[in-house]
Amino acid sequence: MKNPIFDIDNWREIGSTLARNKTRTFLTAFGIFWGTAMLAMLWGGAEGMRGMLMRNFDGFATNLGLVAPGRTSLAYRGFNKGMRTNLTQSDLEAIRANVKEIESSSGVVISSVNVAYNTTSKSGVTARGVEENFFSIQYPVLYSGRLINQSDVKGKKKVVNIGRNIANELFGEEDPLGKFISLNGIYYQVVGVIGQTGDATIGDKNDDSVTLPENVMRSTFAMGNNLDFILFTVAKNYDPDDLKPAVMRIVKSNHTVHPEDDNAFQWMNFAELFRMVDNVFLGVSLLALFVGIGTLMAGIIGVGNIMWIIVKERTQEIGIRRAIGAKPKDIIVQVLSEGMVLTAIAGLAGIVFATIVLFVVDKGTFDEATGSAHFLLRFQHAIWIMLTFLVLGTLSGLIPSIKAMKIKPIEAIRDK
Amino acid sequence: MATNIIELKDINKTYPGIVPLHVLKGINLGIEKGELVSIMGASGSGKSTLLNILGILDNYDSGEYKLDNVLIKDLSENHAAELRNKMIGFVFQSFNLIGYKNALENVALPLFYQGVPRKKRNRMAMEQLERMGLADRALHLPGELSGGQKQRVAIARSLITNPTIILADEPTGALDSQTSKEVMEVFRILNEEGMTVVIVTHDPGVAKATHRIIRIEDGLIVPEKPQIYV
Repeated sequence: MKNPIFDIDNWREIGSTLARNKTRTFLTAFGIFWGTAMLAMLWGGAEGMRGMLMRNFDGFATNLGLVAPGRTSLAYRGFNKGMRTNLTQSDLEAIRANVKEIESSSGVVISSVNVAYNTTSKSGVTARGVEENFFSIQYPVLYSGRLINQSDVKGKKKVVNIGRNIANELFGEEDPLGKFISLNGIYYQVVGVIGQTGDATIGDKNDDSVTLPENVMRSTFAMGNNLDFILFTVAKNYDPDDLKPAVMRIVKSNHTVHPEDDNAFQWMNFAELFRMVDNVFLGVSLLALFVGIGTLMAGIIGVGNIMWIIVKERTQEIGIRRAIGAKPKDIIVQVLSEGMVLTAIAGLAGIVFATIVLFVVDKGTFDEATGSAHFLLRFQHAIWIMLTFLVLGTLSGLIPSIKAMKIKPIEAIRDK
Repeated sequence: MATNIIELKDINKTYPGIVPLHVLKGINLGIEKGELVSIMGASGSGKSTLLNILGILDNYDSGEYKLDNVLIKDLSENHAAELRNKMIGFVFQSFNLIGYKNALENVALPLFYQGVPRKKRNRMAMEQLERMGLADRALHLPGELSGGQKQRVAIARSLITNPTIILADEPTGALDSQTSKEVMEVFRILNEEGMTVVIVTHDPGVAKATHRIIRIEDGLIVPEKPQIYV
């Protein structure tokens, strides 16, 4: 016989055997179908869940750090411990000048204000004073107009970006751009309407707050020199914590605090939070993989089991084939090829099914602002599942096919 | 001697077991080319074992079996399969057709294992079916055929490789007397065309339709009685 893989006749023989034994073909195929579908769905599902969670943080730089004033915990130069510390613009300048690994940074002040336009007003609105770089730390959605920029900050212009919801409440159908609104009685010109996609906030959601230059806000609201906190992102390949010693040394030396006082200034590393989320979902993915592999194993063992029964059931047929000239190799090739063809077709069907399910889920969880949560099966994952199934499917057919090979023609023929 | 297509010399066969069973106790037998012979014997006489050895389905312990001057002894599974495929056509009592293949595919199957292309083997199978008068049944499954038709399909299958001998194991055992006669007629015609046919049977009617009856009793060939010749 020719090489069975390139022998079209051999495939025809396998095809007709599978096609004419529909029940057993279906039962075997279903085990594989279900195994691949489960594995693929779990894998894609875990990816999608992660996407859904990460969506909350959409628009946030992930390499984010924060410094904020705290209370001293050590007495120093005649000052008691327990004193409030403060951060000023000059601290920020010093940090910028000395820590080159910082990419973007912005001092932030936050206050609650009364917002008014004509006769409409709203109280308890969060006002945020920021520098232009703030928007490269939390990327906003710009609905109209422009963002606060460098010249606004430098020129101390009384301009404001208002949240989409604030704009709707105060202006309704009217176009807010170029109009003046009052914040605690002082007038600012609206230059942009902003919002955000994720759910994570600084102060309040962009949609529900007003944002103005930080220096303007401090001076018009008589807030003095103090910043509420400093936000910064770090360059690629750095973690915010890498810069902690340098930043802390600068702010401590600028103030009358003990050099070893770790509580004088607060430090937060958001990158760590993002890593935690990543780790949780790595765990979820592994769990999904584990469960999926369990299903897969059950499927494979099922296939082996069915193949075994099939071989028993076909003892006579195999005996006849042997009597009329089939060599042991022909039989083993036949049984194995049948298993492989089944595995390939049913596995492909399982992956297609899982892809359709994931597609539907992805459509269902689609969000206008953030788009897809990525309930999807990566192509290389699909290939990986297919290959694993093919190899294991073939192996599971091996024992039954060896059994089949050992069938002697007389045993089968005697079975009258 | 050279005309003997089957040559058995002192064949012994013992089935191992707690009580070893000495089934064939020195069989000496010659069958000439073109003969139509039957092997008769009671159950347990060893006739099935003899047929298995003749059909290269089973090994023997000692002696010599030559089929068409080829010594058949201690063959590998592969070699045995090849010789079976090329030299022997089997016809069984229970037909042993593959149930999910139609008549044409069943007949063509031995050629599949020779690597004959599909078109060619289907054409050859069709020829054999025509020869058996079953051309119109070519696409029927065995389940849709009568016993006589099934046996003729099986005979067509045994003929397709143009074998040296046809070995038939109780070919009429599952058939009524009328169909049996028809099947025996097929064997007779085949024999007239020059085919060597060996039929194992316990039916004296069938045996009488052959030219020579070889009786086997208790693992030994019973010496021939001349008057049995027709």
